[in-house]
Amino acid sequence: MATRYLTAQKICVVVLVKLYCESFLPSSATIPVLSFILSQVQPAGPFSRQLRGHEAKYDPSISIRAFEEVLQKLDAIMPGRTLLDMFLQRLWDVDSFDALCDLFGGLGKLLLHDRPDYEPDPGEQPQSRITLAKTSPLGAFVRRASLEFTRLQFEAAVKLWVSFVKYRAPTIRWVHRLPDLAESGADINAQKMDLQPGDGLFDVAYGSLYDGDQGEQALGMDDLERMLDFQIEKLQRIGDRVPEEMKKQFRSMLSVKGVALRQSYLVQFFDAWRAGDYTSAFENIHRYYDYSVQTREKIHYQYALLHMAILQSEFGCFGEAMAAISETIATARENQDMNCLNYSLSWLQHMAKAHPEQLKLHGYRGVLGSDREGLAFLKAKAKETRVYSLLSNTLLEEAKAAIASGEPTTRAFEAVYQASYLHLREYVHQNFGHQMVMLSTLWSRLGISHLTDVHCDMLIDCYQEVSPLEEGIRAQTRRAFSEMQNGYFDTALRRLQFLDPSVRRTLKFQKLVYFYIGLIKLKRAIRRTDWPACTSLLTTLSPDSTSDSEVSFLLWEARIDYLLARGLYSEAFNSIEDCAAKLKMQNADVLQRTTVLLHKASLFIAVGKPERAFSVALRAASQSWKSRLMPTLWAAVGVLATVLNEVGEFRAAGRLVEGVLPQALEYTDQELTATLYSRLADSYMGLAGQEDVASPAGVRKRAKNVSLAEMYVERARTCYKRAEDMYGECEQLMKKAMIARLRGDEKRADEYAEEHNQVWDQARERIMDTATVL
Amino acid sequence: MSGLSKADEAQLKAQLQHAVVACTERCLYQSAKWAAELLNSLPEDDEDGSDTDVDSPMPDSSPPSTPIAVTHKNPRESRLEAREAHKYLLAKTYFDCREFDRCAAVFLAGSLSPGPSAPTPPQPKRGAKGKAKVGATPKAKVADDDIHRHSEKALFLALYAKYMAGEKRMNEECEMILGPQDGGVTPNKELPVISAILKEWFSDPPEDREPQGWLEYLYGIVLARGKNEKDALESFIRSVHLYPYNWGAWQELANLLGSVEELSAVIPRLPQNIMTFIFHIYASQELFQSSDQVHSTLLQTLSYFPRSAFLKTQQALLHYHAKSFEEAEQIFSELLVSEPHRIDAMDCYSNILYVMGLRPKLAFLAQVASATDKFRPETCCVVGNYYSLKSEHEKAVMYFRRALTLDRNFLSAWTLMGHEFVEMKNTHAAIESYRRAVDVNRKDYRAWYGLGQTYEVLEMHSYALFYHQRAAALRPYDPKLWQAVGQCFGKVGKHMNGIRAYKRALVAGSYYDTNVAASFGSGEGSGLGGGILDPEVLYQIALLYERINDVAECAAYMELVLAQEEGPDYEDGSGDPGPGVGVTPTTSKARLWLARYEYMRGMYQRAMELCNELSQDGVEVEDAKALMRDIRARTQSSAKA
Repeated sequence: MATRYLTAQKICVVVLVKLYCESFLPSSATIPVLSFILSQVQPAGPFSRQLRGHEAKYDPSISIRAFEEVLQKLDAIMPGRTLLDMFLQRLWDVDSFDALCDLFGGLGKLLLHDRPDYEPDPGEQPQSRITLAKTSPLGAFVRRASLEFTRLQFEAAVKLWVSFVKYRAPTIRWVHRLPDLAESGADINAQKMDLQPGDGLFDVAYGSLYDGDQGEQALGMDDLERMLDFQIEKLQRIGDRVPEEMKKQFRSMLSVKGVALRQSYLVQFFDAWRAGDYTSAFENIHRYYDYSVQTREKIHYQYALLHMAILQSEFGCFGEAMAAISETIATARENQDMNCLNYSLSWLQHMAKAHPEQLKLHGYRGVLGSDREGLAFLKAKAKETRVYSLLSNTLLEEAKAAIASGEPTTRAFEAVYQASYLHLREYVHQNFGHQMVMLSTLWSRLGISHLTDVHCDMLIDCYQEVSPLEEGIRAQTRRAFSEMQNGYFDTALRRLQFLDPSVRRTLKFQKLVYFYIGLIKLKRAIRRTDWPACTSLLTTLSPDSTSDSEVSFLLWEARIDYLLARGLYSEAFNSIEDCAAKLKMQNADVLQRTTVLLHKASLFIAVGKPERAFSVALRAASQSWKSRLMPTLWAAVGVLATVLNEVGEFRAAGRLVEGVLPQALEYTDQELTATLYSRLADSYMGLAGQEDVASPAGVRKRAKNVSLAEMYVERARTCYKRAEDMYGECEQLMKKAMIARLRGDEKRADEYAEEHNQVWDQARERIMDTATVL
Repeated sequence: MSGLSKADEAQLKAQLQHAVVACTERCLYQSAKWAAELLNSLPEDDEDGSDTDVDSPMPDSSPPSTPIAVTHKNPRESRLEAREAHKYLLAKTYFDCREFDRCAAVFLAGSLSPGPSAPTPPQPKRGAKGKAKVGATPKAKVADDDIHRHSEKALFLALYAKYMAGEKRMNEECEMILGPQDGGVTPNKELPVISAILKEWFSDPPEDREPQGWLEYLYGIVLARGKNEKDALESFIRSVHLYPYNWGAWQELANLLGSVEELSAVIPRLPQNIMTFIFHIYASQELFQSSDQVHSTLLQTLSYFPRSAFLKTQQALLHYHAKSFEEAEQIFSELLVSEPHRIDAMDCYSNILYVMGLRPKLAFLAQVASATDKFRPETCCVVGNYYSLKSEHEKAVMYFRRALTLDRNFLSAWTLMGHEFVEMKNTHAAIESYRRAVDVNRKDYRAWYGLGQTYEVLEMHSYALFYHQRAAALRPYDPKLWQAVGQCFGKVGKHMNGIRAYKRALVAGSYYDTNVAASFGSGEGSGLGGGILDPEVLYQIALLYERINDVAECAAYMELVLAQEEGPDYEDGSGDPGPGVGVTPTTSKARLWLARYEYMRGMYQRAMELCNELSQDGVEVEDAKALMRDIRARTQSSAKA
């Protein structure tokens, strides 16, 4: 069985601490020795890891060589000797099990005694030694070491001693240099009784020394626990599974001990969960809490339920999740566990947002009244109990709610900045990622894509270490999306395809990334009019109950695009109507509802009923303006301009488009820009048509308008080309050819027609290529 | 070098070999182990001839020459054994799997219900030959046919299994060690049944039956557990006559002997063979008799069995009892080297190391023992001793407790635990531990002494006196015990008795110093001749004399105390200082007393000298100075006058 805390190299550290305390170190050696000791005894904790950064990582299994390397360079106070000599002298002074016991027994003398009745032994010289305060890092280490040694059972202590003998054995070559230690063997008793390795008695006592069984005692229980905690943190908070090789290593470490640590079940649970293995996750969470019951009775119950609820919901069993979370809340209330209660309430709130219809289906009526009341309640509770992570979470949720309901953006900004302040002041580092994602959402809705990208990059580059993996993936997909909008399909795809492999180890993230890649491909296929690819992608990507609403909405949008592009209007109409009804019922995100309106308007235009599109588009525009949803506003303007062009209101259309175009350009969405340009060109064309050709001024104006129109057509064409929108590009080429013919430039017109055919043929070829690749 | 002829040796080997087989057949594992060890400790034959020698004597020597073989010849037994060979094998395997009840049921199925709930009936004090008691008969009568249908071996195995089942149940019913319900009196409920059957069996032997000694052994155990020790003794003696190679019987016999007198009474009634020698050594050791005679017997026996760890252990223990720790330690150390996996008696070794204060070695021993088997009571005792030496009494108690959980009758653990409780000032627990130790073995003087000490701590001196006397009776040559007796006498006001006890302590001390038995009654003179006397004892005697107002005697003893500073040679006037004790607090106190005494007597000169000496020694300086001032004042005033 492993010792709880002490290991052979901890003994060496103890010896070193004793050396440090009891003798003069030359001042040049003090700092290296102290920093070495501290690097070994530093207790684990989020702060220490943060503060120490990446170098000087705690390594529980350093060999004696590390001691040699550090100490050999340092001179002792005695001339001609290194500190290593003194250290080894002390190390080999521990020449029997009894001496080891004495070593630990004498540790108390190193500490500063604050008891008034303590009188130092007359024999010791107080001035020549350093006493450690009980609360200092070294003092704490010394106290812990001596306590742990006292707690050891005899057999465990003996095992520790044997492992210590084994551990220090490599230093024997140094020891032979020291004259006064030349003769001493590993154990003074064995030496006195003249025992050699191979004698019966020696084998009984030190039989395991020569087994070649390395590393049995290299890790104490404490180290193992730390290791598992690391794993749990990775899995639970970051959501990252450890690689297979590392897992194998961990498993072999654990199996050597012959002890089953409870945490290992928890690790297995999270691992199975992340791997999407529902049954073993279930099995393991039960096993973990079964073993926990014996230690801390009922405290764990609500946490078990909470984990269960999250697990169930993750795998789409919302009914069970609801039942579990309700019981969690009830139990937490009963046990007055505020942390758990608040957390579960906040989680429930979150779930209600993410999967409204599923929860409704299973009888969720809302425990905290309306959303707003719920958030206010949670905020108050978090402030009261000073749970800053919950507070910041709630604030961010509030910002999200504000965004979704289309309230003024200032409210959302206020909430986000409050959260940000909290993060900085109270060091709630795990929420940095969330904050960044939220900010980038805000900026993207305001149509400032540059800031969106900057925030995503910040999360990816600076806060990926501390924030959950999911946030990082969201940032990456958002970046990929903006690249896609800008027409860089390949970059976007590459970005997602070559994500860090750690993402691939968790089923949920894997699915997410897979979906976004599919979506980007789908959009591209639609623009390229690659219908077979579209149908196959649409079927593979079809969402199930577990995928969140945002994802399914994006897919729906792509599907409508596809239907419109293929001209399946009635199907598109039905789908739009369904979606609109559903969104209305759910009281869904304002962005989504406006988008639905926009699609409806586009549909009306496509079927040639622009009058009916007008009111819809107008509603979308006004809604977007109210909620500061710039991109939809611009798209709505584009639709409106189309309608106006159709009804002959060219001037109004032109003014509208010109009003938004500069802003829209900043929002690097090539498709949107192209549409706007094309509408502008249309309206100029229309204006040109309205000019009175009789008057020379009219002729001039018409020529001017035509050339303007041609310019905008050209711009639209470039944008369409970048967006890989084949239809758009061809349409623009047709228009150009028409303009050329209008001017009477037949040759140019033919060239354009030729180009048009070329583009068409290229697109066909591309489709064939991808088909063969597929 | 071996004192045995080739033929004797061969015969002995054959007998021991048979003993191993016979004991194993009856599941007496410890006895079998002992016999096998002894068998293997005989000197080896010549190297090249060994493989033939081991085989060759067996076939020709074993059948005719061993008495056991003769009993095996008994046709009735052979017939019965042959008939139930398969059943026997079944029972044996059950026993080996520790399914005792099932094993017993193979031969005694249905004939016996579990024992009556009534406590063990006190056995009648009449001879064992008496007719079966009326009360016990009804059940046994049912079994009557059964028990005679089986061979003796089968019957023994069945009854022994029954006994073991009872022991097992008894252990299971026992409470936690020293827990509130742990009275140490849980009975073995199977004893009455076994006793009844055996009585039936003995009372009504078929004509052609020859007793083999095994059932007698079992009967003896049952009687001994029922505290019917006299009959038990008889039964064991019969058993060892019938089959001397069952070590268990000898051991039980030794346990029944409470004093040397009883031992010497028993010895003539025993058969004359090698086993009796070994028994004699063992019993003497158990009774702390390390006389020359025992030593010589031991040496002789050792020459037969030069590699016997058991005999060497006995030798070491004898040295230990004689307080020659170095020799004992040496022997144990050699034993440890030669047989590193042997844990038997290592608790005694640890006691020796404890007394000698060899902590590293004790730690090493503990390490070795726990590497071999950490759940042996001996190991736990070794570890407990180690922690005790390190003054970690809680841990020590934990390990002693563990030892006792493993074996409730593990004597030394009880005693040692008592010591630890004394150290922890938990006198009640200490008394209980000691008491349990004494209940297990009445010959353990340390437990008696510990009881006395604990009662002294509780200021119950007359009570303590009883226990000290018991201890002193067990070890009449240990001055420490007599000193304790004397102290108690002093405390309860029996000053003359106290003085006698102290004088005895002096004698005992000198006995050990010179290894010559000094005669009693010659008073203080003989003490001086024996070498250094313990000044503390002398001082105590002096104080007691003072209490009974015998000032002259008191002063004489005080002078004696002073004399010990210089050693015995002081009186010869040769001048060179002998191996005296030097100035100690005790001698200083005596010196101060003498100074005051001389001052009272008016011998100012001598008083002044003594005071000066005190000042020189640097002890009791203040008192000495004060006294000197008084003396000066007196001498000046007398001079004036």
